[in-house]
Amino acid sequence: MIRIRGLALRVGGRTLLSELNFSIKAGELVAIVGPNGVGKTTLLRALCGLHREFSGEIAIQAQIIELYSPTQRSRAIAYVASDETMLEMLTVRDIVASGRFAYHRWFDWRETTHDGDVIAAALGAVSMLDFSDRLFATLSSGERQRIWLALGLAQDAPILLLDEPTSHLDVRVAHDILLLLRRQRDLGKTVVCVLHDINEALEFADRILILGGGTLLAACEAAEVVPSGALERAYGITMEAVHTSNGSVRVFPRSSV
Amino acid sequence: MTIRFAGALAVLLASLVLSVMVGASALSFHDTIFALGHPNVPSDAATIVWLLRLPRACLAAVVGAALGVSGAMLQGMLRNPLVDPYLTGVSAGAAAAIAIAVAAGVAAAFVPALGFAAGLLAAIIVATLSRRGSGLDANRLILAGVSLSALFSAIVALVLTRLQQGGYAETIISWLAGSLAGRGWHDLQWVAPYLVAGVGLAILVVPALNVLRLGDVRAAALGVNVDRAQWLIVASASLLTASAVALSGIVGFVGLIVPHIARRIVGSDTRLVLPFSALIGAAFMALADAASRSLFAPVEIPIGVLLACIGVPAFLYLYFRENRWRPA
Repeated sequence: MIRIRGLALRVGGRTLLSELNFSIKAGELVAIVGPNGVGKTTLLRALCGLHREFSGEIAIQAQIIELYSPTQRSRAIAYVASDETMLEMLTVRDIVASGRFAYHRWFDWRETTHDGDVIAAALGAVSMLDFSDRLFATLSSGERQRIWLALGLAQDAPILLLDEPTSHLDVRVAHDILLLLRRQRDLGKTVVCVLHDINEALEFADRILILGGGTLLAACEAAEVVPSGALERAYGITMEAVHTSNGSVRVFPRSSV
Repeated sequence: MTIRFAGALAVLLASLVLSVMVGASALSFHDTIFALGHPNVPSDAATIVWLLRLPRACLAAVVGAALGVSGAMLQGMLRNPLVDPYLTGVSAGAAAAIAIAVAAGVAAAFVPALGFAAGLLAAIIVATLSRRGSGLDANRLILAGVSLSALFSAIVALVLTRLQQGGYAETIISWLAGSLAGRGWHDLQWVAPYLVAGVGLAILVVPALNVLRLGDVRAAALGVNVDRAQWLIVASASLLTASAVALSGIVGFVGLIVPHIARRIVGSDTRLVLPFSALIGAAFMALADAASRSLFAPVEIPIGVLLACIGVPAFLYLYFRENRWRPA
């Protein structure tokens, strides 16, 4: 689904990440973790063609990213950004309806019944159908994140990329969002998300990509993360692993005192 | 929505009829309608309506519509409600060129065309300065527009101070204050192709403009070619504004305020905001022109001055009164 070969990412001439090689299979839920500023967001943006300062190869569905037109790309990959924009006077439905842009020619302004169905399904998938006519500005952070996810779903793309979908959310709302992502994975989507909370990644991801020191340190399943030692190398601290009652692993920084 | 469209259209038609009725010699409603319906029956009313007032009312409407659409597009693209169509330097560039031309004794017939060309040239300079990569940078566009406009205004001021003795200063000031006096169909004729091109480009970018409401990054992710959309929007807005300036001189306020009124009525969907801005801007300018001709007839007040004196307080009252009922 996604294949990366010898990828080096630069920002303003400075190399941020290099020698990246990995593949993501269709129907996988992959988490990207790593310290602040390591290049997680840049990598995500490169995967959907929004960051063009790179060398190496990014192939999406066996076609390199540069060959996609903007609308083709948006029908293949939905990118759910984390940055906040001022959105006065926009209703929830206005926002989600924007996901259908790539399915229309320039002269074709009207929303089709199919568009309407997809928009309703997207809002339904995040349990926000009743909020259609609400002004976006009046929603809570958790509700907003659901709307951004619904916008991604309205693109009807097989790949979902999410940048920190759970940041600034309380533990329950974050959990709900991650359950929604897992459901999308179960419905056949390929889901890649940047996560700040390693424990969210350990619990929900099929595979975890750990970035650190300017490259990819490990790409492995949750159970292999702690033995690999990649987390400690990525963050430069010692960590302690704890096993929960259901047998999964959680990690915490070990106090040096 | 159909009702609101019909309403706006009715307001525009009523404004046009009213604009045709009033003036130095007022016509009755009956005479006006009769003359409009029978262009070939010779009468004083028919002459006044068809040769003097209707062309002028239509011109006013076209100017208002062009400024309304242009303002709505730029405000939408820059996501900045304080932006007006003159942001791209069109008006200041036109004013400087017109001031120099009048001072140099260029024939009056060439002045509108010169203003049009100089306005577009100023917009091109501003757009070139605000390039970043293959696209435009919103902050650079605003900064380049504001600073270049200041430079052009200084040129106008310089010309005016050197001209105090001659009678030219009056011609220049009437351009700066905006006026439709003495304009007719032939003025509309030569501007028409540029207006059509501007509207065509606007129609081309409406869907993209709608998605740009979510911000440039999200719009790009949703499949908008952001760079191309920005260039098209600036090109369209500049063509429309330069045409308006060539027709009426510099009429402030309309391009800033009309999009706000349109959004109040139809929300922020660009597919509705652009046509409504056109209709409201047209009605607004037709009424303003009628008032400028008739309030102190036979003396004409410059339309820009009138708009500012009546329009600004009215708008502030309406806008802030309504704001009290909306959550911050």
